[in-house]
Amino acid sequence: MVPKLSQQTILGIAYAVVALLIAGFYFTGGLGSMLISSGMTKFPPDVTAFSLISLLAAAAMFMNASPLVVLSSATFLGFFVLSIHQEEPLVRYLCLGGVLFAIGMYGMTTSRNAVRVLMSIELMLNAVNINLVAFARYIDPAQVKGQVFAIFILTVAAAEAAVGLAIVLAMYRNTATVDMEEFNLLKW
Amino acid sequence: MENLANLADVNAVSIETWMFYVLAAIAIPFAYGVILDRAIIRSGFLLIGVFGAISGLFLILQAQFIAMAQIMIYAVGITLVVVIALMLTNPRMNLDLKPANGNSKVWGFAFSFLLFAVIYMAIRSEYWPVKGEIPSGANVAVIGAALTGQYSLPFEFASVLLLAALMGAVMLAKNEPSEPETLEYSENIGTNEAETPEAVTSSR
Repeated sequence: MVPKLSQQTILGIAYAVVALLIAGFYFTGGLGSMLISSGMTKFPPDVTAFSLISLLAAAAMFMNASPLVVLSSATFLGFFVLSIHQEEPLVRYLCLGGVLFAIGMYGMTTSRNAVRVLMSIELMLNAVNINLVAFARYIDPAQVKGQVFAIFILTVAAAEAAVGLAIVLAMYRNTATVDMEEFNLLKW
Repeated sequence: MENLANLADVNAVSIETWMFYVLAAIAIPFAYGVILDRAIIRSGFLLIGVFGAISGLFLILQAQFIAMAQIMIYAVGITLVVVIALMLTNPRMNLDLKPANGNSKVWGFAFSFLLFAVIYMAIRSEYWPVKGEIPSGANVAVIGAALTGQYSLPFEFASVLLLAALMGAVMLAKNEPSEPETLEYSENIGTNEAETPEAVTSSR
């Protein structure tokens, strides 16, 4: 049984294949040697491949491709290209933390549903936790202080989720909506 | 060719790197699903996938206690609270389909992209004093000693914070008695009686 794909999804998958080819071309060393042989030694190959993938993603979004497929494949392949360049495994974890933090920031600024904003904040807190645990593993393996900080962040995140959702429920009871743009009670 | 040598090193190091990329390939699309999915109840469940992938990352980072705490607190507790809040509000509102005021999507995308660029530059330009040893399997004992010894005061503060947050959440979410206080103004009741209770009930 073949699921019926819309044109948006087909465009998105086509973009993902092209981006995967670019990432593979970088990964096998072809892009770096091509840049060197063409004399453009100033451009670092990882940043070149990343900006190529991002520009193609913007073009695919402009051609009305599915944003979920395009954005997730572009982010993962760009992150792959940027982090395979580094030798240290610590930098990979920090890159992943940065990616998840940026995704959470995007969701927090653009969502209109208040509960989705709270979910984005949880994503950002998790990204910070990845950083702390990676530091505890690679920088401070004897007395794992990063894990202690991660425990405190877990605690504060639980308190934040409870209070934030209670506030959302109280606002919903008073205004019968969870639209962030209707919450203008504290607007100056 | 230099990257091919890198690839051979990666294979020689361990399976850990590949597990990392697999978990990242789960976590990033699920995170996009959380913020872009049209059905918000589905994004509430996709949040479980993100938290599960991150707890897998904690496992390969030798942080067993944090991984289990992550599953218990985030993937079960917080997601449960979020889903219950979604069910108590109206999940069919489809707010994110409506056009937002101004072009907040463009600005949000530009701002988060800039944020990631700054973070990546900061990561890349720094020299990290990485130590080769891995943490011992008994690091739960180290965490326990740190929490009861050096960090006992923040630990107590965290417990007080949790208690205050618990009481605050109960106070905020508690149903207020909907009886209006305007009953004392006996003259006004005759004129406004038809309006005020209707307004309260219809606004729900």
